[in-house]
Amino acid sequence: MWTYIARRLLQSVVVIIGVTFISFIALQIGGDPTYLFVSERATEEEIEMVRRALGFDRPLHVQYLSFLGNLLQGDFGMSLSYRQPAIDIVLGALPATIELTLLSILVSVGLAVPFGVFAALYRGTALDGGIMTVAMFGQSVPNFWQGIMMILFLGLYLKWFPISGHVPFLLPLLQGDLAAAFGNLPMALYYLAMPAVAVGTYSLARNARLVRSSMLEVLGQDYVRTARSKGLTEYTVIVHHALRNAWLPVVTMIGLEFGFLIGGVVVIETVFSYPGIGRLVFNAINQRDIPVVQAAVVLLSMVFICLNLIVDLIYARIDPRVKL
Amino acid sequence: MTDSAGDGLTRLAPRRDSDLARGMKRAWRSLVAARWPVLALAILIAVVVVAIFGPAMSPLDPNRQNIMLRLAEPGAAGPRGATFWLGSDALGRDVLSRLLYGARISLLVGFAAIAVGGTIGIVAGLVSGYFGGWTDDVIMRLGDIQLAFPFILLAIMFLIVLGPGVMNLILVLGIGQWVTYARITRAQTLSLREKEFVEAARALGDGTAAIIFRTILPNIVAPLTVIASFNVASVILAEAALSFLGLGVPPSVPTWGSMLAESRDTLIANKWWLATFPGLAIVVTVLSFNILGDWLRDFLDPRLKERG
Amino acid sequence: MTRTRLLAAAGASALLFGTTALATPPADTIAVGLSADITTFEPANISSRDNANIARHIFGTLYNITGEGVVTPDLAENLEISEDGLHYVYTLREGLACHDGEALTAEDAAYTFNRAKNPDNKFTGNTPGFVFSSIGFESAEALDDRRVQINLARKNPIAFGLIAEVYIHCKDSYEKMSLDEASANPIGSGPYRLASWTRGSEVVLEKVANPNSPAQMERIVWRIIPEASTRSAELIAGNVDIITNVAPDQIDAVNASGTAMVQAVQGTRRMYVGFNLSQPFREMPGGEAIQDPMVRRALQYAVDVPAICKQLLNFECVRATGIVNPPNANQSLTPYPYDPAMAEKMLDEAGWPRGADGVRFAIRFQAGRGRYLNDVNVVQAIAQYLEDVGLKIELDVMEWGSVYVPLIRQRNVGPLFFLGTGGALWSPLYDMTDLARVESGTNYTHWSDPRWFDRWADIAATDDPAAQRKIIDEMLQVFYDDGPWLHLYFQPDFYGVSNRVNFVARPDEKVYLFSTGLK
Repeated sequence: MWTYIARRLLQSVVVIIGVTFISFIALQIGGDPTYLFVSERATEEEIEMVRRALGFDRPLHVQYLSFLGNLLQGDFGMSLSYRQPAIDIVLGALPATIELTLLSILVSVGLAVPFGVFAALYRGTALDGGIMTVAMFGQSVPNFWQGIMMILFLGLYLKWFPISGHVPFLLPLLQGDLAAAFGNLPMALYYLAMPAVAVGTYSLARNARLVRSSMLEVLGQDYVRTARSKGLTEYTVIVHHALRNAWLPVVTMIGLEFGFLIGGVVVIETVFSYPGIGRLVFNAINQRDIPVVQAAVVLLSMVFICLNLIVDLIYARIDPRVKL
Repeated sequence: MTDSAGDGLTRLAPRRDSDLARGMKRAWRSLVAARWPVLALAILIAVVVVAIFGPAMSPLDPNRQNIMLRLAEPGAAGPRGATFWLGSDALGRDVLSRLLYGARISLLVGFAAIAVGGTIGIVAGLVSGYFGGWTDDVIMRLGDIQLAFPFILLAIMFLIVLGPGVMNLILVLGIGQWVTYARITRAQTLSLREKEFVEAARALGDGTAAIIFRTILPNIVAPLTVIASFNVASVILAEAALSFLGLGVPPSVPTWGSMLAESRDTLIANKWWLATFPGLAIVVTVLSFNILGDWLRDFLDPRLKERG
Repeated sequence: MTRTRLLAAAGASALLFGTTALATPPADTIAVGLSADITTFEPANISSRDNANIARHIFGTLYNITGEGVVTPDLAENLEISEDGLHYVYTLREGLACHDGEALTAEDAAYTFNRAKNPDNKFTGNTPGFVFSSIGFESAEALDDRRVQINLARKNPIAFGLIAEVYIHCKDSYEKMSLDEASANPIGSGPYRLASWTRGSEVVLEKVANPNSPAQMERIVWRIIPEASTRSAELIAGNVDIITNVAPDQIDAVNASGTAMVQAVQGTRRMYVGFNLSQPFREMPGGEAIQDPMVRRALQYAVDVPAICKQLLNFECVRATGIVNPPNANQSLTPYPYDPAMAEKMLDEAGWPRGADGVRFAIRFQAGRGRYLNDVNVVQAIAQYLEDVGLKIELDVMEWGSVYVPLIRQRNVGPLFFLGTGGALWSPLYDMTDLARVESGTNYTHWSDPRWFDRWADIAATDDPAAQRKIIDEMLQVFYDDGPWLHLYFQPDFYGVSNRVNFVARPDEKVYLFSTGLK
């Protein structure tokens, strides 16, 4: 197993270099970013000075290689718009986004399993039809629209939830301030509820359908029939035999899910004015703040790679057929 | 498709014309039995018809503005004796006409992006699975890079630089899809590579390209079709999300996604028709693709089939 | 369902323990919702309006100019300008101090100016980038404890107002900090200090204990809420007291809420369609046509500006007659009326008749998105009006920050482009100085009419306000007749204001809350 992990980590180095290369190219083909960092009255000499100061006067390959060199030392450079180390800016925004994605994964998996199982158990009934219809709609509604409607209806009209904003939980936790973190927790969840649901709805719907169909498949298989015929209670059959296998496909999805959720996060963070990495990096791309974009992209792909590695390891543990 | 099926007669491929006809008949029976997919199919056919003939049916020029008649309610009088059956938008353009034109572009973006992503992915997957070795490694690493790079960020970067446009959107959304196709194709190719009919084709002296495209490809079309039908749905949603970020089509080009994105400022002012009609169009279409995809998967998945 | 109720209950119990405000802000706190993020508190790097609005509460300035253009003293109480206009000597008030307790003296003020000027610091904010380059700032020196002298390279009639934009801070505290530290830890001289800053989310300011402080509220919370609907919803729900940039189509919803009203202010930002007259653009389709002042004048008649204002901006606006804000404009000029028939007639006469397809000439029209009020819709409407008189418009709407701004900075947009530049009410010259020289970075149209540019020497040559006014009026006449702008409007600004507070919006996009309190 350790050689497997080592090989995967080695591959991920290649992947991360590839990721930085692509974003470097994407940010450079738009032309010289210097003009975003000079005032409108700057003279040619001043512009040239800024260009040199920012290092945009060097040939592209030199810029990229020196970026890679610094990256090896863990240095992403200074943010061009915040004038702070880029990695600090990104790390500052990361906890909020992790809270959001974790909760939406929790929503999308935690609710998907019972929904999918019940739909499968009551296949063909109104319950099944109801759950699946809602799931189908959940998979068809654009998330920004859902977010705005939630704000207007649940936030403004019914006043059940706060409209926008964020109460930090992970950040104080990471800083070691346990009292503040857990004091904030109820409020943090309260503020997170709407954005997390908005981000997670699509996945929730898809996972519920996934669980349902794999549950149906499992229920039809021999060992479940055997278990039943042995006179085990329906509860034991379902929980101990069917369910264990039915949510395997969902576990595989979680790894890939992260990349997908980040997509929703960019949009939803804007709608709920949520101070996370999605909005940060969208703004950074818009301001061509290359160090921040690079730091964010590298960090996100590292999270993605680790998550997938963990999922694969878990998978190998719960599914004895898989060998690493 | 018909081409390869015809050639298959002399090449020991497992599919034959009579198989195809029988398959179609079976598919239709299963479709009718399942009921909902029939409705979904009917809706999609209607949407395609609208996409093709919509411009001819549209009562007004979808881009003709009339800011004095903006935000008119459905049924309100339009310019020169016309009626805004579904209301007018923030620039006084006819929502119905834009919806009809929008069908064409939304579907075009959906299908074309799948075509682009599918083509790249299938070719990459076939090559990767058939040849293996370093080619396989390179292609799969490229796929890993793509997957590790949150797609939306990639799309934002390229669309900001390239500027809004239908072609750019198709390219970006298409390239975002290729890995899925490549992985599935590769897995299928790996398992097919050693099958008897492929070895038979090889023994008959077929070239590599012929084996890959004529012998292997037709046999993996089924799972790819399932993926594609789900994918059209997610591409339509992705287009809407990019429109929300201001990175979709140019403002004068109507798509359902961009119409919905444009409606967001007026939601609080209760101009419901701006969001409801394009929203319904998206939901109904995406829903239909999903239902059809579900059915197709059940129909084509041999394990589920065995269970009957 | 139960889950929802559980969460709601959890939230409600948390409220009792007094965590972040979910409902109305406390009586000593005012909450503001801004549309754009802020990036720095380094005084010499601040440039965006929202950023400057917050920073102005932290940093004092030598003088203050109110929204109506009235000058009031701030840190300085007296100013003497030398005969030749090159030396400005400010006398600071007695007993000033920075937030860390350090006394604020003339030496500190001089240091502030020289630090911003220092090229090693690579500052690009409003102070070095706009103020210093506009006034030809040379150096600053302390004459004694309270008198600081600013030296300019050339005489400049608007130097006073621009110097009043410079944020003043102390020397010792800033010498101790690295540039990184300074950008997140401002140590200012104004009535508020920075209490906390969560990037992308909120900035909290706290009142500095000072018996003479003009500030009414203990705390100001600035929240970043980019989405217009969310901003309006928060205002209506009573969670913020003031929001900026209310979307025009949401004004009625806010006014109908019963909790807040929209204050619509005629702003000073000049919105226009520019005609790029430079050689590369001359060679593009339509580039030749707009070289002719007659064509440019014809197009002025083609666009129904009042209709655009009323319909798309929800505001009755006065159409601009030129580059200068109405109080200081040439009063003999009347705005071009909407008269498409006149436009077509003039275009025919200018030698651009409609072709068989009804098109006179094709031309590209570039714009950025998301910067100005309802900009995407406004440019589409303008394009429609221009098409109505026979132009074929290729509308090119780009991402504002990453794509449009670099083009603007390189003066490379056009042949038609949409832009708005900030103006002021206290001097016509402030507005006109965008076109101080043909090669000015702000002369985006590359206009070069000597009847305008040669007159700057005449203005500098006279000190008599009446004589200056005469020259200004003549220049504005040229600009009106043969200028490089299709005049649109002065952008209105919409502030949503809760009924709880007594905020009065200013016309110059500045949100200063020193005198804002509860009703």
